[in-house]
Amino acid sequence: MSKFHRQTYVLIALAVCATFAVGVVMAAKPPFEDLRTQQPISGDAAAGAGKAATCVACHGENGIAIAPTFPNLAGQSATYLYVQLREFKDGARVNAVMQPLVAGLSDEDMRDLAAHFASLPGKPAAAVQQVSSRGYTLYHDGDPHAGVPPCQGCHGADGRGPQPYPASNAPHPAWSTFPALAGQDESYVLAQLKAYHDATRADNSNDEVMQGVAQNLSDADMQALAGYISSL
Amino acid sequence: MRNRIVASLVVAVAACLTGTLALADSSDSARVGDIQYGNSLDPTGWAPLLWPADPRGFSWLHAGMLRTPSGVLYPYPPRREAGSPLQKDSDWVWSGWLQLGYLHVGGDRNAEFFRQYSGWKTGMVLGLFAFEADNPKTGQYVEFRGSRLSGDDQYYRMRGGQYGKYKIEAFWRDIPHTVATDAYPLWNGIGSENLTVPAPLVAGGSTPAEVAAVEKGRPRQTIGLDRRRAGLSYEGTLYHDWIGYVSVVNEKRDGDRLWGGTMFFNYPFKNNGGVLETVRPIDFTTTDINMGLRDVGAVWQFQLNYTGSFFRNHRRELNYQSPFSLYNVVGVPQVANIYQGQFSLEPDNDYHNLSAELSRSLKWNGHLSMKAAWGTMRQNDQLLAPVTCTGTGGIFIAPPANFTFNCADWNTTAALSQQTANARIDTGLFDIKAVFHPTPKFGWHAGLRWYREDNKTNYLAWNPLTGQYGYISENGSQGSVVPGETGIFDPRNPLYWSYVVQVRAIPFGYTDTIFDAGINWRIGESNTLNATYSFDRDQPKYRERKLLNEQRIKLQWVDRALGKATLRFSYEFAYRDGGPYNYDPYEPFYSIALPGFVTPPIGTAAFTTDAMRKYDMSNRIEHKFRGIVIYPIGDTATLSGVVYGTHDDYAGSGEVGRQATRNYGFSLSWNWQPAPATNLSANLGRDDSRLQFTNVADFEALVGQAGQDNPALGGPLYPLANQWAEKNSERDWNAGLTFNHSFSERTSLDLSYTYTYALGKLGYVYASPTAISGTQQPYVATIGTGFPDNHYHINTLQLGLNVAFTHRVGMRVFDTFQTGSFFDWHYLGLQNGLVIDHKIYTDLGPQPHYSANVVGVMLNVKL
Repeated sequence: MSKFHRQTYVLIALAVCATFAVGVVMAAKPPFEDLRTQQPISGDAAAGAGKAATCVACHGENGIAIAPTFPNLAGQSATYLYVQLREFKDGARVNAVMQPLVAGLSDEDMRDLAAHFASLPGKPAAAVQQVSSRGYTLYHDGDPHAGVPPCQGCHGADGRGPQPYPASNAPHPAWSTFPALAGQDESYVLAQLKAYHDATRADNSNDEVMQGVAQNLSDADMQALAGYISSL
Repeated sequence: MRNRIVASLVVAVAACLTGTLALADSSDSARVGDIQYGNSLDPTGWAPLLWPADPRGFSWLHAGMLRTPSGVLYPYPPRREAGSPLQKDSDWVWSGWLQLGYLHVGGDRNAEFFRQYSGWKTGMVLGLFAFEADNPKTGQYVEFRGSRLSGDDQYYRMRGGQYGKYKIEAFWRDIPHTVATDAYPLWNGIGSENLTVPAPLVAGGSTPAEVAAVEKGRPRQTIGLDRRRAGLSYEGTLYHDWIGYVSVVNEKRDGDRLWGGTMFFNYPFKNNGGVLETVRPIDFTTTDINMGLRDVGAVWQFQLNYTGSFFRNHRRELNYQSPFSLYNVVGVPQVANIYQGQFSLEPDNDYHNLSAELSRSLKWNGHLSMKAAWGTMRQNDQLLAPVTCTGTGGIFIAPPANFTFNCADWNTTAALSQQTANARIDTGLFDIKAVFHPTPKFGWHAGLRWYREDNKTNYLAWNPLTGQYGYISENGSQGSVVPGETGIFDPRNPLYWSYVVQVRAIPFGYTDTIFDAGINWRIGESNTLNATYSFDRDQPKYRERKLLNEQRIKLQWVDRALGKATLRFSYEFAYRDGGPYNYDPYEPFYSIALPGFVTPPIGTAAFTTDAMRKYDMSNRIEHKFRGIVIYPIGDTATLSGVVYGTHDDYAGSGEVGRQATRNYGFSLSWNWQPAPATNLSANLGRDDSRLQFTNVADFEALVGQAGQDNPALGGPLYPLANQWAEKNSERDWNAGLTFNHSFSERTSLDLSYTYTYALGKLGYVYASPTAISGTQQPYVATIGTGFPDNHYHINTLQLGLNVAFTHRVGMRVFDTFQTGSFFDWHYLGLQNGLVIDHKIYTDLGPQPHYSANVVGVMLNVKL
């Protein structure tokens, strides 16, 4: 063995020893839900109606909220509602009001409640929609220069949820986890957009998508968008 | 509506991509320098920056890893961490990396192939220093990257700008290019323009034994050069959609390389003249300028562009001395001892090209684009005198056979018809293309391209001091060996009025017009057919043909119906013919076309046989095919294969020249990424090429005799018995294996192995021994049917281990081991001495066997 080969092997051996002398520590990860593999859920809507007594206090008897700061649940995607309940329960989504209320719900309860509110007719569209507004443009066309994609791609042109392609070999997003926006109140939508913009709502993979969208929205754009969405 | 959803998703996916783009280099209109920055230590230029693979995958919209539309797996993106605020309450965030370490280079560290483009050196190295800062609110950014292996192998690059507004880039880079590591140049003055023989040798007066003795004592040297590139560019929005860009790149090449040097006629006449392998200086500067303006509107698009390239050679000439003497072959007393040689080195060159492009969107999902360009290349250096000799050159036999010349009549620029080159080539281009896709399933396109290269150079080799035409060949040495072969024509002197010598530069040029049209048609959801027809009409000037026509049909089929696989097949057929073939179109540029030329009673010697067909002017039938298969295996692997071939037939029956070329090959590759932390890939490829060539040797004894003007194959000058054929083939193999695995977020291993093999065969047959040059007749019995096979192979194994001690501090230890072997018959016998008769060689060639090793320990710090 030549001298340089010996030097080489000695150096490599030292390096290998140093490598395995180092401990391996994996950092703990924050609660986070990956919704990309979430399948559409099913539940007993009738049973859910019987379990909704607490919910209707804020979200209304017919799923239409009693105050603009609360979301309307009527006509919402059942899977979206179920995921939100599950995240409140496991702590991925933090809300001081909701978390105590869902603490006692079983998985079946959450499915039934989701199915119940999804089965209710959504809030009718406003009589006048802001067709030529900045909010309309952002919702339907986005703003490529600002890096804002159009909302309708995932939430539907009428705001009542995504309208995906028929089945194909191409990979599909978990469409059922994308919420309908139509009928939500302006102040609620604005609050959610700000939460995405400020990254305070970052509980699951869909929130990561929304952060990518909202981070390029100005305050005025968020206001305009919330106003338009509330008219859908 | 569907289109809107798809467009929205595309934008959303783009918005959600994790930060791989920050690492990528891309090319655009204002790019300066090299597309890829890297060196032998890290060819990618960014390996230390790579974060662990992100197990969350490629997109927040889809689970698992995505594939390209063809089915190839995207790699897992790096899990990039946010930078640190530059200052308290600042919107700027920054990141920095430093890789610093020690390399030990061992084994055959000077092996030519090991060092060819690498500045490996034992000692401290800067693997990488990188800094980047950006302001997410304003889109402003600045980044720096640099690496230094050695003084001639380093790069530094800085970029900055504001996204969507402007960007600036500056770089500086050194790349070594080793030509030979075992050179033993005989001459003093290597690297200069003047090579002189060392004492005790005497220029023009030494014997081969004396030269060989001195040569043995010459020190070993490395011959090579350094490429130093620097550049600066700017691109930015000037007004609305108008974008302007400008870049300037300067490359300085400095060093030396192996070169030639002749003192004529050693091969036919032993112990005469010289065949010398010299060393010439390289001192070039090339400055490239690219600037333009473009507007990308929704309907109209426009671009105006200027490209300029300015080559400067800071060395005009190479003067060298031959240690050997000359003697004339007619046995009369030698009047000239020519031992000085001179090369005129490359002239300065200016290149300008101005182009304008205009395109417009049309109905039927169509697009019309037009481009017009004008360019010019000019050289106008001061010319060198035809010779450097002094005294008298040539041969004096007996009156009136006086073939001598006065060097003083030729060794000044007064002997030239013009003092500067005044060389110029202009080019023009017009290109128009229309593309339409009236339905998603059907599209068509058509285009017309016209290009002209107009050579305006018109140099006449005429000596106003003597009234003679031509150029003294090889500094007068040829005419000092063979009477009359001085290289000149003189219509007033019977000794020279029948000599055929070149007297004008040949202004080669051409006009090329190409029409093409095609359709693409999608059949069902899984099959696409493309068909294209093109007609290429080439009109060369001063070539064997004045017109060449080539028709080409190309068919392509893409199929996605076979499971998840993507299959692509293409086939091309082309047929080229043209106008009448003139085997000697160059007469207007030779003395034969000048007034006063006297055709000898036996005629002038044929330029070549009329059966010769040059490969770029002959008829040709071409078949090409290519098949590509990409087959996804499960969700984690991809198998792909390529097979291709090109089959060309050239000259017809009874014609000589290139007969045929063949090229076939395949490649297979397999990639497997079962988890974010593991990636394994393997590849194998082979390429076979073959060239067949035939020619006929002239009957040397007939030159100067009746019949020398007969160009017919089978005639007295080119008898069928003198035909020969050559078959040249090369087979290349390449294989590779790479493996990367992260044991944890702190420990990862990488392994790579590459193998390259080339085998070259050169065989020949001949109709009879008379096909072999007369000077080689004594060796006919040993010539056989081919040269020994050449071969070349290199194995490279690299093993690397990365360990992070803390979040910021880590270490990389690696070893690169390379072994190779080489054989080339051109170098046979040189190990016994670089001086053979009057032939002097300078280098021994690449090492027949070598093994070299680089081991390194690098400290990685995230700043």
